[in-house]
Amino acid sequence: MSSIVLSPFNQTCYQLINKYFGEIVGEVAKFLLSRRYGTLFNIKTGTGMSLWDVKRALAVLIHQNLVEFQANEQNPNIVDYSIIYHNAYCLLRYAKYLYTIKRIFGSSEEVLIEILLNIGQASASNVIFHSANKLNKAIDDIKVINPSDLYQSFQKLAANNFIIRCPKIEIVENMPKLLEFEEKDKFIVPQLEMEPIAKLLREKATQIGEHSDSEIIWRVNHQRFEVELRNVILVNAAARRVDETTGKLYHLILKLWREANPTEARVSNAVSYTLVKDAVRKNDGGSPMLMEHFDQYLRVLYEDSTGLISRVGDSGGGQFAVNYADVFENFACSILDSVVLERFGSKKALRIFRLTRMQKFMTDQDQMQKLAMVSPKDAKTLSYKLMKEGFLQLHEQKKATSNVGPVKSFNLFYVNLPEVVRGVLETSYKCVSNALERQAHDLTVNKCLLERHADFENILEQLRGEDAPDNEIAEFSDSMTVADKELVAKVLKLCDRLKLVPIQADETILILENYLKFHSMP
Amino acid sequence: MASANSDEPSPAASTVNDDGRSEAEIEARMLELLHQFPKGISNKILDTDMPTVNKQIKVNILNELMSKGKVSMFKAAGTQELFWCLKSHPTSRIKGADNEERVVLGLIEEAGNKGIWTKDIRIKSSLSQATLNKVLKALEGKKVIKFVSSVSAPKIKLYMLFNLQPDRSITGRLWYNNENNEFESELVDLLNHQCFEMLQQQKEIAQQKQNEGPVTVRNSSFLSSKEICQVSSDMKLVKFNLTVEDIETILDALVFEGKVEKSTASDGNCNEKVKMYRSVAQPVPFASITKTPCGVCPVINKCGKVGAIQPKMCKYFNEWE
Repeated sequence: MSSIVLSPFNQTCYQLINKYFGEIVGEVAKFLLSRRYGTLFNIKTGTGMSLWDVKRALAVLIHQNLVEFQANEQNPNIVDYSIIYHNAYCLLRYAKYLYTIKRIFGSSEEVLIEILLNIGQASASNVIFHSANKLNKAIDDIKVINPSDLYQSFQKLAANNFIIRCPKIEIVENMPKLLEFEEKDKFIVPQLEMEPIAKLLREKATQIGEHSDSEIIWRVNHQRFEVELRNVILVNAAARRVDETTGKLYHLILKLWREANPTEARVSNAVSYTLVKDAVRKNDGGSPMLMEHFDQYLRVLYEDSTGLISRVGDSGGGQFAVNYADVFENFACSILDSVVLERFGSKKALRIFRLTRMQKFMTDQDQMQKLAMVSPKDAKTLSYKLMKEGFLQLHEQKKATSNVGPVKSFNLFYVNLPEVVRGVLETSYKCVSNALERQAHDLTVNKCLLERHADFENILEQLRGEDAPDNEIAEFSDSMTVADKELVAKVLKLCDRLKLVPIQADETILILENYLKFHSMP
Repeated sequence: MASANSDEPSPAASTVNDDGRSEAEIEARMLELLHQFPKGISNKILDTDMPTVNKQIKVNILNELMSKGKVSMFKAAGTQELFWCLKSHPTSRIKGADNEERVVLGLIEEAGNKGIWTKDIRIKSSLSQATLNKVLKALEGKKVIKFVSSVSAPKIKLYMLFNLQPDRSITGRLWYNNENNEFESELVDLLNHQCFEMLQQQKEIAQQKQNEGPVTVRNSSFLSSKEICQVSSDMKLVKFNLTVEDIETILDALVFEGKVEKSTASDGNCNEKVKMYRSVAQPVPFASITKTPCGVCPVINKCGKVGAIQPKMCKYFNEWE
């Protein structure tokens, strides 16, 4: 095992790859994570594994869209491999993806996405074939699933951009290169005949074998899912600020913006009032209140200080757009406020932090004390504590007095928002990687105990199933001591909680990452 | 018979003057006049009343009265005429107070609510530092004056009469305890909680108007700072009066906690801007990492793969319920 120390984000990626793909793949990934680029030979010497292992590991990673390759700049005959960092992190979100798809579409689409996530890159027929197999196993019916339904579901997913074509390999100047498709071609599903697949299913084949579209490979589109997860947060925020109906209205408006905006930009394109009203009318079954007080709901949204909608023009009854940078700044500030409150344990710290953040000019301790209504001693201790943890920054300003004697200086505090956000983001990554590490550690350390416990439970079930006499059951259950049982219970309980940590922390990470992304956009 | 010794000092002028009144009587008469004319007597009035009394004697008596602190002298604004009036203040009640004390006390009294700095007293009374200190100690001992510290300059000592309440400007409003100059956190917390409760209630009342549309709901969940002040004063939470500014500082503190939002609206009748407050929910309720031990860990920055702080042996994980 190499002793490379990784940054929190890279550590998280490594833990995820290790968890899902095993140690060998994990080691190769670790090397590439720390070293940006690596050739085959570099990886072999760096990890100390055999060439055969390294090759297999790389093949797995490439197939799973976690590693990409390109020709080395100095020597075009050698390949440089590099990790796709974002995709490695998205391993965390697979469960959320499935839930999202199920919520929006249904269970057949969910199965398609699940199969595609498992395989990594696959052709349409392959995915449909395996999904049909899986559904067949799940349902005890003798009737076989009709693959044309799955084909339609597949087309629906592509039309909504949840799946995307993988880049094609072309020979350019005697060099194989990966080239992305044009925008319009990325989501077009080829015409497929479902008959051959149906035949294979009837024969209960396990592999699809040769098929017509084996060159047309698909993968999951992580960007689209991120937009979807982000929208959930936005809609929830709208519902919290006003009420449920507003949340629904906001959901419709988000859809309209997405249709008007193919690319991600800081400010979305505007949609007109009439367009929104039409959309609401079409969706009238959802909420009669919305139609009745439509103007008011819209007004409440765009007058809200979070900036969920901003009115950018007056033509066509009003033009509405969203400035993602503003919205996510407000969200990031909420997150930071919450972290300050929980970490420092008092409302006073929160007041000091927020007021320093909200002031246009830097504050000194006197002002802090007056505005935040805290005692001077508290103001001093809390402001220094906040500074130590990186939430406040200090600026020294010299008083412009004579050069004689000690120079007096003002100590002014301010909040450098991107810096603080980055700090909290690092902490969040650490949360995730710590949870994964602890979980893995607990399970390995207590492996024997847990196996014994599992066997014990099995035999107990058997005894109960066979209706064995009570005293036998009691005698057997005493074979495992109370202390052991307690320990097992404790370990399992902690494991359950640790499983949820990455998913929860992901919400915070999503908001903070999006803030940094939109903040740095022109 | 010894002849009149001419080198003996001539006896003081006779205290009996022309119309046979003694000085004490003249003084008494003057005091009567002063009482009669509380607004002040001028030289003219004295002349009309006691035309026969020697001017020098009148002046002497007046000076004496002034030094005793019973009378104070003013100059009329228009005519630049001098006149005297009675001072009715506690210095006259002090027994055995000597002149210096009276002077100092007079100055302190003049300062009223705002108090006066020791340096100012020294300048105005032209007493030396040591004398002044002695006088102040004596007066403090008699519980006639007290010193307070001002919020703006905590090191200087201000003196004022014992029974007066210090003015708002020097005690930083009522958030400071008078005796120890401690910040009254409990009072602030209490008022804080109270105001927030009020705003929450208002929000709930507003929610019942759901059917009239969200804008109505939002507008009726606002409360102005004046209304909040009124309700708080009625509830008599605190012994003294709460002003609108006090309530506004409390409400601003709530804004800084993120629980309350502020906006200005113009009052219906006059053109003043009125500050309105309402309770709001944050767009993101809480940061989900705070639900994990790592999110609130005080030593997260030291946590790593080696060393005493590792996730493998983290005791916060062990104790996590």
